[in-house]
This record gives sequence, C-alpha cells and structure tokens, in this order.
Amino acid sequence: MTGILHFEDLEIGRSFACGTYNVTKEEIVEFAREFDPQPHHLDEEAAKNSMLGGLAASGWHVCAMTMRMFADHMIPRMAERGGSGSPEARWMKPVRPGDRLRTEAAVVGKKESRARTDIGHVTFECRVYNQTEQVCLLYMTPVVARRGH
Amino acid sequence: MSMLYWEDIEIGAKRELGTYTFTEEEIIRFAKKYDPQVIHTDPVAAKNSIFGGIIASGWHTAAIWMKLSIAERQRHATPTTARMGVSPGFEDMKWMKPVRPGMTMKFSSEIYGKTELKSRPDLGLLLTLNKAHDETGALCMRFIGKSFVQRRPEA
Repeated sequence: MTGILHFEDLEIGRSFACGTYNVTKEEIVEFAREFDPQPHHLDEEAAKNSMLGGLAASGWHVCAMTMRMFADHMIPRMAERGGSGSPEARWMKPVRPGDRLRTEAAVVGKKESRARTDIGHVTFECRVYNQTEQVCLLYMTPVVARRGH
Repeated sequence: MSMLYWEDIEIGAKRELGTYTFTEEEIIRFAKKYDPQVIHTDPVAAKNSIFGGIIASGWHTAAIWMKLSIAERQRHATPTTARMGVSPGFEDMKWMKPVRPGMTMKFSSEIYGKTELKSRPDLGLLLTLNKAHDETGALCMRFIGKSFVQRRPEA
C-alpha cells in the first residue's frame, strides 16, 4: 500500500479490491429478524416457494456487508470526508448462506468542488461478486475526498 | 380485505410507518458490525469530528425504515402491500441530516410511480418515495424504493 489517496489520485477507471465477506445462514437470519422479517430471509422452507427460490439475505443486509468491506479496505486508504447517500443500487442476484463475497470499487466519476479548493467529489461504483463471479449488488457511492495540495 | 394487484395501486397513496427512537448503544452495535467508522462507533472521537457527536450509519436508518415498513404491513393488510414481491434495488438514497442518539424518527412511504415490465408481463414495478423525518419535521433520509408486484391475470 502506498500513501493515502487524495482527490488527485482517484482517477476515473482506477479500481480497488475491498476484501471479502463470508455469509452465514445465522447472520442472514439474525439481520432479517431485526430489520427485514420476511419469510424468504428467515425460513428455508418458505423461501423455496418465494421469488428468490431459496433463503437469501435481505438486500439491506447486502448493502451493510458491502459497507463493511468498503469501510475496512477503502476508507482507511483515502483522505475522505464521508458519504451522503447512493444514487443507485441494484440487487442483481440473491446472496445465499455460504457465499463468499468480494467487492471491487471503481472510480467512475469525479468533479472538483466549485465552492471549496480543498475538496472534490468522487463517485465509486461498487460491484459485489459472489464466488462464481456473479454480480450480486451494484451500487454507486459518492464520497467527498480531500485534495492533496 | 381482498388482495389487490399492481393495476389497483394508486399513485400518491401514502403509508405512515410509525416512529423509532435510536439509542447510542444500538447505533454503536450496528456500526461495529457493518460500518465501523469512528463517527458511528466512538463517542469521544465523534465529538471531535465535524458532526460533534456520534451519528447513526445511513444504512442503519435505512434498515429501520425496512423494519417499520414490514411491521406496518403486518399490522394492516393494506392493498398496496398485499402482492409485494422482491425488490430489484433503490435509487436516489440521500442522508441529508445526521440521526443522533435519542432522536425519534418518523418514517413514511408513498406510491411514487408504476412501470410495466416488458420482460415479465406477470409483474409490474412499483416505485415508492420513502422518508425519515426528525422531531422538528426536518427530512433526514429519503430514497426511491422499487418492488415487483403481481399484475392482474388476464381473464
């Protein structure tokens, strides 16, 4: 790992690996009980007959897992000042018990701040792959990055 | 109440999902697991940040919206929820104001739009505008939710 990444370093097209996340049935059910108690996130039998065709993690849980990967592997490398939302997220494939997810964060947009010379806006596209290289979640996350000089 | 189809759902119909009070313990517990940044996990470090204190992860606020949405659906079998299926994603998630410990947030969901799906004539897409307001009425979070809903079978 080289130095801290500033606005100038986060060039469009650059991509960063953000680690992995092992998904367990226990965690899927625990998250769903607290936040998203629908049968297809809680119960294997009921999930078989659902649109998801089997037990799958809540989409919000997948976003939370992705946040964890981004927070562990990307945020510490950047001179960043936080995010404020996401213009788009697509839950493309179900995330199942036993899946091993990995996240790639690619810079897809950047613009200088008009009001301030010390910061800029950088947009990452995060792709969350499962172990068979299917994209399960695609989401955009804009962050405010400090300029190096 | 008989279950309604995508065709029956009216744009503009609004559901009040109820309120939720965020505790510091809960904000920290969620963040330690899913969003371990000091503004969410460490009251001392957060105090010295631009936020001046601990704030909830935006994903925590979104997850609570989901929780209250499900609870409301279970309390009242409302027509707009009866044939809801899975969601393909969301758009335009904005966390415009911090959610702090002790704040009681008010959540809502309004039917925002409907789209036909060429690839799945048995399903329609429903767009919802979802919001969380604080006690002063300030908007803290909003996003456009998407759900697949069953269409009325052709006779």
